[in-house]
Amino acid sequence: METKNNSISGKGMPDAKRKKLRGATGAAHKLYIVLVAAVFVALTAVFLFMPRTTYSELEKRELATFPDMGKLLSAPAELTAEISHWFSDSEPFRDDFMTLSMNIRNAFRYTYGSPEEVVTFRPSETPVADASVTEPGDGEPQEYTNNLTADENAKIANSGIIIVGTGDNVRALMAYGGSPNGGQGYIDAVNAYAETFPGVNVYAMPIPTATEFYLPEKAAKCSKPQRPTIVNIHNKLSSKARFVDAYSALAEHVDEDIYLRTDHHWAPLGGYYAARQLAHVAGVPFRDLSSYERHVVHGYVGSMYGYSKDISVKNAPEDFVYYTPKGIDYTTTFVTYNTNKEYKVTGESKPYKGTFFKHYKDGSGGAYCTFMGGDQLLVKVETGTPGSRRLLIIKDSYGNTLPGYMFYSFNEVHVVDFRYFTRNMKKYVADNKITDIVVAFNIFNAYGSAAPAKIKRFLSQAGGTYAAPDKEEPRHKEDSAAQNVPSKQAEQPVALPEAVVNDEGVGNQTGEDADRETDNSGAIESFL
Amino acid sequence: MVFSDLLFIFVFIPLFVLSYLAGGWIDKRRISAGDALRRPLLARNIALVIFSLLFYAWGEPIYVVLMLVSVLVNFICGRLMGAWDKKLWRKVWLFIGVALDLGILGSFKYLGFFAGALAEFGISVDVPQIALPIGISFYIFQSISYLVDVYRRESPVQRNFLDLLLYIAMFPQLIAGPIVRYGTVAAEINNRTVSLSDITDGSYRFFIGLGKKVVFANIMGEVATRLIGGDLTHLSTAGAWIGIVAFTIQIYFDFSGYSDMAIGLGRCVGFHFPENFNHPYTCTSMTDFWRRWHMSLGSFFRDYVYIPMGGNRRHQALNILTVWFLTGMWHGASWNFIIWGLYFGLIIMLEKYTLLRWRVPRPLLHLYSILLIIIGWGMFYFEDFSRMTQFYRAFFFGGEGSGIPFDVQSAVMDNLWLWIAALLLCLPVRSVAARMADRLVDVSPSAGGHLVLFTRAVIAVSILVASVALLVGATNNAFIYTRF
Repeated sequence: METKNNSISGKGMPDAKRKKLRGATGAAHKLYIVLVAAVFVALTAVFLFMPRTTYSELEKRELATFPDMGKLLSAPAELTAEISHWFSDSEPFRDDFMTLSMNIRNAFRYTYGSPEEVVTFRPSETPVADASVTEPGDGEPQEYTNNLTADENAKIANSGIIIVGTGDNVRALMAYGGSPNGGQGYIDAVNAYAETFPGVNVYAMPIPTATEFYLPEKAAKCSKPQRPTIVNIHNKLSSKARFVDAYSALAEHVDEDIYLRTDHHWAPLGGYYAARQLAHVAGVPFRDLSSYERHVVHGYVGSMYGYSKDISVKNAPEDFVYYTPKGIDYTTTFVTYNTNKEYKVTGESKPYKGTFFKHYKDGSGGAYCTFMGGDQLLVKVETGTPGSRRLLIIKDSYGNTLPGYMFYSFNEVHVVDFRYFTRNMKKYVADNKITDIVVAFNIFNAYGSAAPAKIKRFLSQAGGTYAAPDKEEPRHKEDSAAQNVPSKQAEQPVALPEAVVNDEGVGNQTGEDADRETDNSGAIESFL
Repeated sequence: MVFSDLLFIFVFIPLFVLSYLAGGWIDKRRISAGDALRRPLLARNIALVIFSLLFYAWGEPIYVVLMLVSVLVNFICGRLMGAWDKKLWRKVWLFIGVALDLGILGSFKYLGFFAGALAEFGISVDVPQIALPIGISFYIFQSISYLVDVYRRESPVQRNFLDLLLYIAMFPQLIAGPIVRYGTVAAEINNRTVSLSDITDGSYRFFIGLGKKVVFANIMGEVATRLIGGDLTHLSTAGAWIGIVAFTIQIYFDFSGYSDMAIGLGRCVGFHFPENFNHPYTCTSMTDFWRRWHMSLGSFFRDYVYIPMGGNRRHQALNILTVWFLTGMWHGASWNFIIWGLYFGLIIMLEKYTLLRWRVPRPLLHLYSILLIIIGWGMFYFEDFSRMTQFYRAFFFGGEGSGIPFDVQSAVMDNLWLWIAALLLCLPVRSVAARMADRLVDVSPSAGGHLVLFTRAVIAVSILVASVALLVGATNNAFIYTRF
């Protein structure tokens, strides 16, 4: 123990140590210097001379670019901050460093207890027979009891993402913070559509996320239940609109792979059950999976790896399974939106024909873009199915899996993403003789107010209003998502829902406070 | 710029090293030409000043001017003290200089706070929105130290502006200490040498500091934020405890890591800064704690406020309370810091007459100190009083739920080895290691020296690589004390 007096002067313990170590030979000091300098110089060379990373596969986002030097005089502090950010954000071998980082973090962890019961989320190898749906499908969602992962191991990773299970069965879940009486914006928007289009069937399809079904008991407090919000939406829908109970349709099949374990989306199979429910409520024909061809992208690891920064997600790749309709001739017409850096639409392409499904290579992290190639599109599918029913799907990225199951049911299927639509909706519905409109949002977008407000605006906006483009090249060329090439830009990079999981702690976006609710909604929406 | 920023490590440092070496080469030529006898380090000092200004300007492009003006003011006051050697005049220049320094500090750090305090009393003042210039509390205190040391004739007047600028603005200690007293480094400005062991020791110290910051402080900071940084309405008692202990670890590793990096960088260019920490969490009383925590601030207040006020000879209680009021206030323009300071002042005063006079077993003293320190960090952490109240309610009287909730379990188990390592490193593990190293070198300067320095190289390189990895995607990387 040092004496009290030496503490102030700085002539205490470290100096004594220093004098002793000076006794080590010069050769020993040189050995240290050579070793450390070699590694330091090598790393410096990597940082200064290796090509910078422009896109992170792990985080599925474009990395910072070098800022515009024009601000040097007008906003110098901003410029230097951006340069610092650029330097570390776009570092060479970013994904490798990040993998190393996650391995280090993982090494700090102490795993205790043995996983009591390993639950396997078995892939449905055989097409699920079309159990004839007998319930009406538009009622209040049934209660759901979690028998699958209730006892599972769980931990909280970066951004409050809850990691459930071990080994190959790891599942990453995002905390939900919505209150039971939320979703008013969505209710208003769907009711407004029902009011605006009296001759059209308007459906509300709020979609729960995996958190609702797979959250273990011990982590129950980390997230709020989603069913009360969905029931609230069901109860407050006007009589002119109809409810599609995707919740119950999914709840019946939770032991199948209806959600991706490593991604924030559901799996195409989940979309299938929801689509079946929609067809049932709409009273249109529907084919079961025997009419579809099954495709698999092996070794898929989705977005939750980048968000949770947890190595166990990366170590549990899954099969991305999707289904394409057999024996049907359909043509798909795309309009691609160009956007600026803020993802505001700055222009759009001429309509062009393309393929609805794009197959991704094994191991590709972008496989969710199988459907249409992403979100920044307006899509029309002429299915050749006889009849006059024409469906418009207004959706977020969850809705991307739905249209592919509707080709046997409707004569035309139109797909509009809530973020990118520049026309007037009334005119669009009239011009295309739409008979059915479904608003398919996952619970985060159905809860927040921003996404519903946008689609409400579609009803009144004049066609062809664009934001100012960036100075550089537009982000989207026509159909950039070429076959077998995971397009970097195909999906909007998703910002973390900081308001949900970061600023307020885990899943503490209570939503009870009205101001907060609106504040957070934008952040929630940008996630999905 | 921040020490733990990749840009600092891989752009600033290499460029600085190259420039400094070039400066050394120029100085050598000057010396051999025989025209550098008085200022043998001029070119190196110029390089150091230029890089220090760049370092500061990177974060504060505008306020670098403020810093230059402040140094100029102190330079002039110092020169005036040298020129007008009468005691009275020296006092006048000292007074003017210190008043200007405190005026700058007051305007840029405390104006909004004072206006807010006046508003509490119903006097409404337009609160100016002034961004806090980074590191202002540190460099203003160094300026004051210069003036006082010159006034007391403990150090000579600095006749060269560049040299005074070098002392105040030197980038290793510019923005978050240690607060280097002028007398400590005055002689080294124009007369210092760098040996091999300065470089090995200094760089090793830098990497140790980097590891403390990036590996320990950042991760513990995440844990603290997760548990007590968000909504506190559902805070559990376990969450409050583990959260504030995580912050206790974070702030020690964050600040002492910064000091290590500063001292290490200083060593590499031949300066010997004072130590700032001496295993503070091993203390056996609050008095002891403050002899071990942020020692350069404590000694500043001791020598420039406490002793001139009369120390323990005259109205000691008042002196102690003043020092602790100022210590709290120094940390930030917010009431919670003042309360935090007074909290320590009060305890230190009480224990002088009680615990320190009684024979209390050391383990009990240690437990008492660490508990009160942890409780104190709660005042430091929450600037908002309603949140502070929520926190203490959960901390003392039980929060929501019973047992250990999942988020707390996860916070501990997911970083268990880190928690254990952090707690161990709060003990004097490094002095033990150093003593062992000394013994090895004593036994055999060559074999022992190789073994010790090879081990150090491995540790340094591991920390560097791990830090680079952990800094990817790091979002909140600023040092806590650069705010003050």
